[in-house]
Amino acid sequence: MIRAEKLVKKYGSGELELVVLKNLDLEIKTGEFAAVIGPSGAGKSTLLYQLSFLDDPTSGEVYLDGVATSHLDQQEKTLLRLQKLGYVFQDYALLPELNAIENVALPMLMQGLGEQEAFRMAQKALSRLDLSDKNHNLPSQLSGGQQQRVSIARAIAHDPHILFADEPTANLDSESARPVMEAFRDLHREGQTIVMVTHEAEYAAFAERIISLKDGVIIDDGPWKPHARTES
Amino acid sequence: MNLLVSLRVGWFLALRQIKRSGKGTTALIVFIMTLTFLNLVVVSGLLVGLISGSFKQFREGYSGEVIITSAVGRDYIENSPRLLGFLENHPEVDGFSARYSVGAQVQGTLTNLPKKNERPNRIGARLTGIDIEREEAVTGFSRFVAYGENLRDGEEGYILIGSNLIKKYSSFADANIPGLDLLDDVDVGSRVRVSIARQNGDSVGKDFIVKGIVKSKVDEISTRFFITDTELRRFLPVNQEQFQEIAVRTDYAYAPTLVREIKNFTGSSAARIQTTDEAIPSFLRDIETTMTVLGNALSSFALVVASITVFIVIFINAVTKRKFIGIMKGIGIAPRAIQFSYILQALFYGVAGSLIGLVLTFGVLKPYFDAYPIDFPFSDGILVATPEGAAVRILILLLVTLAAGYIPAKLIVRKNTLDSILGR
Repeated sequence: MIRAEKLVKKYGSGELELVVLKNLDLEIKTGEFAAVIGPSGAGKSTLLYQLSFLDDPTSGEVYLDGVATSHLDQQEKTLLRLQKLGYVFQDYALLPELNAIENVALPMLMQGLGEQEAFRMAQKALSRLDLSDKNHNLPSQLSGGQQQRVSIARAIAHDPHILFADEPTANLDSESARPVMEAFRDLHREGQTIVMVTHEAEYAAFAERIISLKDGVIIDDGPWKPHARTES
Repeated sequence: MNLLVSLRVGWFLALRQIKRSGKGTTALIVFIMTLTFLNLVVVSGLLVGLISGSFKQFREGYSGEVIITSAVGRDYIENSPRLLGFLENHPEVDGFSARYSVGAQVQGTLTNLPKKNERPNRIGARLTGIDIEREEAVTGFSRFVAYGENLRDGEEGYILIGSNLIKKYSSFADANIPGLDLLDDVDVGSRVRVSIARQNGDSVGKDFIVKGIVKSKVDEISTRFFITDTELRRFLPVNQEQFQEIAVRTDYAYAPTLVREIKNFTGSSAARIQTTDEAIPSFLRDIETTMTVLGNALSSFALVVASITVFIVIFINAVTKRKFIGIMKGIGIAPRAIQFSYILQALFYGVAGSLIGLVLTFGVLKPYFDAYPIDFPFSDGILVATPEGAAVRILILLLVTLAAGYIPAKLIVRKNTLDSILGR
């Protein structure tokens, strides 16, 4: 589904050069739920940005459905994100002037769907996340956990090939975080491919595959192990 | 990505951002745009209106829509009776007033001779003979009688004097202009002696009682003497209708056609035939042009201020929402759609400001200034605002607003998506 080949990401230059990802190879298969874990500065989020086309690698290639993407311009990458990817941000990232259903419907409107159809699909996505009674609430009228679930609904409503989640529980208490992680688990069970970055072992356990990163290199890649640690 | 889809998403976002953003901020921006519109329309409209007011008074109080005067080098309008017959039977002529007009000297002090080295209390001006009823129908002459009474039809021995000929009433009295003699100690009820020169070189005089003082910002009224036309005919004397002026009332838009028709009827050398606009002195036209330029210059400043205001508002709005702009791009919203949303917001401010400005201009200010003109020494200033002129200014304002909304939106939207999301 998505494959990174000899991925390098550097920041700065000369003496100030910082290599965050070092010749990293990785493949995520269709239907997988992978958690990227590792200590702070390991390059987890940077890896996610490269895989989701939010950032361009210094070198290397990312293949989506077997097609190389390094030659795409920003407009094409924006279109790719719209059509094939879903993204859940750490701080929910809902647009404050749009209510829940409008936030969820927005990407589908951009895809060219009519307002009625987009809202129908948005409502369906919100129902999947037990938020059907919050359709018309503005983000400021929702709790953190509810906002994050709206964010997930927005990311999945258009049926993306891959769902990326960047520390989706980092801003939530455990009570709010659990329903969010259960939502990811349920989506995975329904066949959704998910790549999630987290530093919390408890939530990494929801994934079937754990990719451990340290200093820009994958140090471990395999099924969840109870002793896996996310931070050094 | 499809332009229409981007436009639709831009509209979707803009509508909600306007609806759900702070009401106070929106009201303030719309208020500024309204002031800008008023600055564009009203300031220049009032400046031009100072002169246009005098044109209007000239037309309504003196010339009518068409003014016929003696041709250059002629003493009177040739074939006057035939011309009057033509005007009488013309279906588009609502009325006309034919006037006799002759140069005259008026002496104010009749009892005492001037002392040695003292100039006589005398002034020269045009003496105009009017048909009271016709003049009233065409110019509403009686409204200019500020003191005393108007003449009656066929009345003899009475005269009306323009206020600018009498020291007591003239606005030039304190100007100390060399050679400018004004009548002293003359008021309603005074006796004055009018002298006119006949064609054979003789001079003839007659005493009149001042029945009234006529006051107007139209010089042709405030610097003349008026008696009835029947009396002036006997005074001159003339045996037939040989008029010097004919003011014709018709539809303003029809005036150029009527001028052509009269010229065809009389021949162009029989008289000088002009629309009221043609009869207005060129220096007044120059002042009008200057006022227009001045008004446009002030409007330009207003436009610059408005564009900077919209720019700052949209820029601050976009900068504070930079993270959300990044997120929108992150989830695949086309930059063009985001730009559209900001442009549409800017347009909303422009349209709302213009609409409120339109209502204020045509619903409040124009009727107000029509009812209560600004009292300037040379005119009654009105507000000149036409729907066409307002439409052009709205268009300019919206174009400026569009640019002022587009540039900051473009600046923010083109920033790196990830940097925007992470606030770097």
